[in-house]
Amino acid sequence: MISFQRQVRVIASRDLTRERRTGEVLWVTLPFGAIALLLVPLAIGTNAPMLQRIGPGLFWAVVMLFGVLISIRQTTSETLAQRDQLALTGLDPAAVYVGKATASFLFLLVFQAALGVVTVVLYDVRPKGWWLLPVTFVLVAAGLALLGTLAAGIVATGRNAAALVPLLVAPLSIPLLIGATQSLEALELGRSSLAWVLMMIVTVIALAIAGVLSARPLQETG
Amino acid sequence: MNATEHMTDRPSSTWPWVVMAIAGLVTFVASMTVGPDAVQGQLSRIMYVHVPSAWLAYLAFGVTMFASAMYLWKKDLAWDRRAVASAEIGVVFTALALGLGMIWAKPTWGVWWTWDARLTLTAIMFFVYLGYLALRRTTDDLHARAQRSAILGVLAVIQVPLVHFSVVWWRTLHQPPSILKPEPIDMDTAILVTLIIAVVAFTVMYTAMMFKRIELARLEDELLVSEQTADSPVAGAAVIAPAVDGGGA
Repeated sequence: MISFQRQVRVIASRDLTRERRTGEVLWVTLPFGAIALLLVPLAIGTNAPMLQRIGPGLFWAVVMLFGVLISIRQTTSETLAQRDQLALTGLDPAAVYVGKATASFLFLLVFQAALGVVTVVLYDVRPKGWWLLPVTFVLVAAGLALLGTLAAGIVATGRNAAALVPLLVAPLSIPLLIGATQSLEALELGRSSLAWVLMMIVTVIALAIAGVLSARPLQETG
Repeated sequence: MNATEHMTDRPSSTWPWVVMAIAGLVTFVASMTVGPDAVQGQLSRIMYVHVPSAWLAYLAFGVTMFASAMYLWKKDLAWDRRAVASAEIGVVFTALALGLGMIWAKPTWGVWWTWDARLTLTAIMFFVYLGYLALRRTTDDLHARAQRSAILGVLAVIQVPLVHFSVVWWRTLHQPPSILKPEPIDMDTAILVTLIIAVVAFTVMYTAMMFKRIELARLEDELLVSEQTADSPVAGAAVIAPAVDGGGA
């Protein structure tokens, strides 16, 4: 019997290998997110001070909406036969969940970093809080990855799965969006960001517990 | 065989309709009897439906969470039916609370919608439970459907405290809690009594709706099962006696 950590590594490396072959995150979702950041000024006007003001919020909105696509991609692209085969390998369902979420977490970190650069360039945003920004990036990526993997597991291979998962994930990711935007705003206003960071940590922990606990029952339902 | 022939032939109860009508009438009479608010005038009567609707949304989603947790524990489909019945009622009353809030907001605040924390989070809660109802349409397997939606039903309830405490955590246009708060209630007695009557009437209405919706959910489940099994051959039905050359024994 291989250890839990080893099982997590196996699943995560499977998803990373799949990404290396298909390039879905790097060559499809990331350019799509960058296009969204490019389209907004064309729609609302190119007033530079206004764009500088809305840039950070827009960045987080794009991360949330397009990040959903990243966090659900592995699970929703799996066929029923692949899921059955994975179940028959005897891997711990919780390890499968954590493994998939780990891969998504890594993809989302890269996604955020790349879009962050695009936002700085296009919107002339000057990032503040060099200690807080990485913490926020990590918590948002972890939260979205856990939530997306859980939601994709809930919907599984049911009807309208690909369309339904974003509907479930987007509203439930609100604590992450609020935490990310408010913590950075608090820092800018000279207030403590601790409460917002704590809210994100609690959200991430709650999602991790929910995902691990529900992994086996969800696998049993097929 | 007709699929519906499998279904139990129990008479549909009519008392929930009567209870719903009485509860609606009580709310209407109470809200029309009390005098108008000194500042808001007749517009304040909307509150006698808006506030109970918001309360019912909390209650309904709380019940959905409890019933979902009970399903995960007991694996009894009756709990799943209670969860979905409550979620549907909750969605209807959340929509009602939002709609009436907007009607009240236009003459009061000058806009139909404002980016207030309470309003925005209530709208998000509405979409979360719409997602819950949509999730139930993804599969016809009763236990798979119940299992998946039960997990979401437990998770989604986090929205309720977020909505309720949003007016405390953020400085919002929406007024802070008037009744569900630790401090003494600062409200005119007549208005408070009317509000309590409306909340009680709506709670009774919710109970009657739950009864009716659970009954309907049971019939839906029975119909689904009968449709799935109606055309299925009985085990062994496909086995045909092999033809023997030359016939006869």
